[in-house]
Amino acid sequence: MKYLIILLLAFCFVLPVAKGQMPHDGIYMNKKLACGALIYGNSSWTNYWENQLFRENQNIGRLTTESMTAMLAYGITKKINVIAVVPYVRTNASQGNLLGQKGFQDASIWLKAKAYSKHGLSLHGVVGFSTPISNYVLDFMPMSIGLGAKSLITRGIITYDLPKHLYVNGSIAYQMRSHVKADRDAYLSGGKMYQTNQVAVPDAFDAALRIGYLKKDNQLELFAETFSCTKGDDIRRNDMPFMTNDMTMTTVGVYGKYQPKHLGVNARLSYVVDGQNVGQSLGLSLGLLYIINL
Amino acid sequence: MKYLYSILAFFTLLSCSKEVDDTLYKAYSPAKIDVNGGTWKSFILASPTDVAISVPKLVTDAAYLKEIDSLKTIVIPGLTAAQKKSVDFWGAGAVLRWNEIGRELAARYNVPPASNAAGVYPVPNAADPLADPKFPFANPPYTARALAYLSIAQYDALVAAWKYKYQYNRKAPSDVDAAIKPLLPSTGIPAYPSEEAVVAQASYVILLAMFPGEGPFLKEKLAEAKNSVIWAAKNVGSDVDAGASLGAGVAAKVMARAKTDGMSTANNQAIVPDLIARSTSLGFVNPWKSQESPVRPPMLPNYGAVSTINFDRKTLESIRPVIPYLENTAEFKKDLAELNDIQKNQTREQAAIANYWADGPGSYTPPGHWHRYACDAGVAAKYSELRMARMLAYVGSALMDAGIACWETKYYYYSPRPQQFGLKTSVGLPNFPSYTSGHSTFSYAAATVLSSFFPENSAKYYGYAQDASDSRVYGLIHFRIDCTVGGQHGRLIGDFAVKRANADGAQ
Repeated sequence: MKYLIILLLAFCFVLPVAKGQMPHDGIYMNKKLACGALIYGNSSWTNYWENQLFRENQNIGRLTTESMTAMLAYGITKKINVIAVVPYVRTNASQGNLLGQKGFQDASIWLKAKAYSKHGLSLHGVVGFSTPISNYVLDFMPMSIGLGAKSLITRGIITYDLPKHLYVNGSIAYQMRSHVKADRDAYLSGGKMYQTNQVAVPDAFDAALRIGYLKKDNQLELFAETFSCTKGDDIRRNDMPFMTNDMTMTTVGVYGKYQPKHLGVNARLSYVVDGQNVGQSLGLSLGLLYIINL
Repeated sequence: MKYLYSILAFFTLLSCSKEVDDTLYKAYSPAKIDVNGGTWKSFILASPTDVAISVPKLVTDAAYLKEIDSLKTIVIPGLTAAQKKSVDFWGAGAVLRWNEIGRELAARYNVPPASNAAGVYPVPNAADPLADPKFPFANPPYTARALAYLSIAQYDALVAAWKYKYQYNRKAPSDVDAAIKPLLPSTGIPAYPSEEAVVAQASYVILLAMFPGEGPFLKEKLAEAKNSVIWAAKNVGSDVDAGASLGAGVAAKVMARAKTDGMSTANNQAIVPDLIARSTSLGFVNPWKSQESPVRPPMLPNYGAVSTINFDRKTLESIRPVIPYLENTAEFKKDLAELNDIQKNQTREQAAIANYWADGPGSYTPPGHWHRYACDAGVAAKYSELRMARMLAYVGSALMDAGIACWETKYYYYSPRPQQFGLKTSVGLPNFPSYTSGHSTFSYAAATVLSSFFPENSAKYYGYAQDASDSRVYGLIHFRIDCTVGGQHGRLIGDFAVKRANADGAQ
């Protein structure tokens, strides 16, 4: 943990950081203004929680997930924004012989609206829909690039402006997730054999608290997020994960954006501090942003 | 916005039907009842009357009438929703349901042991089955064998049951008293002993021996299975008791065979140096090596010494596939090139076939996969319990023989895996030598038997077998030759089961 804080601080000092327009923040593009982003992400773990057992796996080594994400945010009005996201993902294990997977993952579209704003307090609603845009393999977790489910995410955000350009942001979301079709025609879940290729990916909640500094288009933020499935089973002893797993994780991190003019950059560093049925990921993303006047 | 509402509506629907639709089986009347089933040749029982049961009371006897009265006045009026559900579940078929239970247990126990802090893989301990690692590690050979004995015990016990059924000819309760309306279709088969109870008790004995940590689970299933035919008013208690006693007696004889078939020394690691020496002497430059870290001892190196069911040891050795291409031959390089090409350009279709047949950890393994196909075929053909068990006994014994003969071949040559030549895998790498492919041997053996029982579906079964065989090339863990030759070997092994089936008197 101490290491983490040092890392986070180092990151803050080294990189110029500032603001973004994301499905979870309270920031909007002005009307007819669009922001395009190209973001490189690198997330990796060497240890994971097999159910609650924290372990390493010498036949995986470090599992790295790299992504290149194209994102476009557009101001329909200054209180209603639409955001579209398309990621390309690839995985790689540093040891063992598991073949890395790659492909376009889940594209998503988000509608964000400011519902209330007075005396520095504002409330926002976000609805997002996400769907796989390629027929990527699900049956090969943890090498698979995603869970394959269509999702409908409903999020509420509350933000409050503090003095000196500081703010707090709290959000909570429910992720409804569809069944998926596995390649296999039977699977074990929770000790029961299902003789079908239909797999129920459990719904999930997430919630986050963010504290940050926002001035014009520049932003620096510390965050803590928690993610939890509503149900699901656990990875069995020495087995591989599966789409039905009840994944939970708590992530902390820092986000920043710096956008002096049309061109800007953003960066995000995150670390999973606790979890179940997930890897202890250390994630870094770097993005190039560009504002277009339409 | 309208679009958004429709998405919302769509998801509301989705979340309401969050449960997945599992395969559904329903009760049916068997197409044939096989009055002469008691004369069919069994596997282990020398005679259908090897296990005696008591002579049933006549249907006019006061004790029997009391059982009928209990059905009418206590069981039927007091039937709960849970009991009806249980009747529906077990009514789909006793052999079918116990086969499913066997497969589910196999899947639950199919995880390779984890290494401990010292980098050692502890061996599962039958005396402490629920400790980590759990006993057994239900890998493909283990599962093939467990399901074979399960099916053989069911079949032998049913042959004996049929013998007694038609010897005593005691009718079903509804045929004795028209006021009794059974919840399951009438079969016209005499009720004493209950075939469901025979199957339940025989299955319980075998599965408990194979999965010794599952006593409480199996006991619960056994009680429910036996009660379900009484709740359905298909049997009285004495039908069930006689069935249970017969099932237990026959299963004990099958287990006597299982206990002395050589499985206890299947994991004898002491023979490994000699196996490697032979491999080298045969010309293998790089004998098989575990690719796991820490290095894991090979899985069941002496499983090839287990006694086969449908042919003898001499035959096993005579049909052992010949030596594969050695490293540095043009044929070997061609097979390796095919794998390197798939690694670079694996299509989604190839990945799907590889995943469909992966049947790796957490699955009921390829033998389980084929048992499922066999069950589905038997259900579609409206097989009686006896016919279902018979067919599964031949499919199951062929799968067990395939496992033994394939493992004997694998450890005879001790040949390297493609991963020893730089390949990755998209399905996970089994920890034993390459040649021949277990999937190919199992699948062609099972397809051969199923094709004999269901010739109209022969093309379908051989198609599945070829997919299963190809899947190991697509998954990058077998050379083409491992699969082609494994398939040919599997056909030969299946033929022995077919030959036996054709001579058992059931045709």
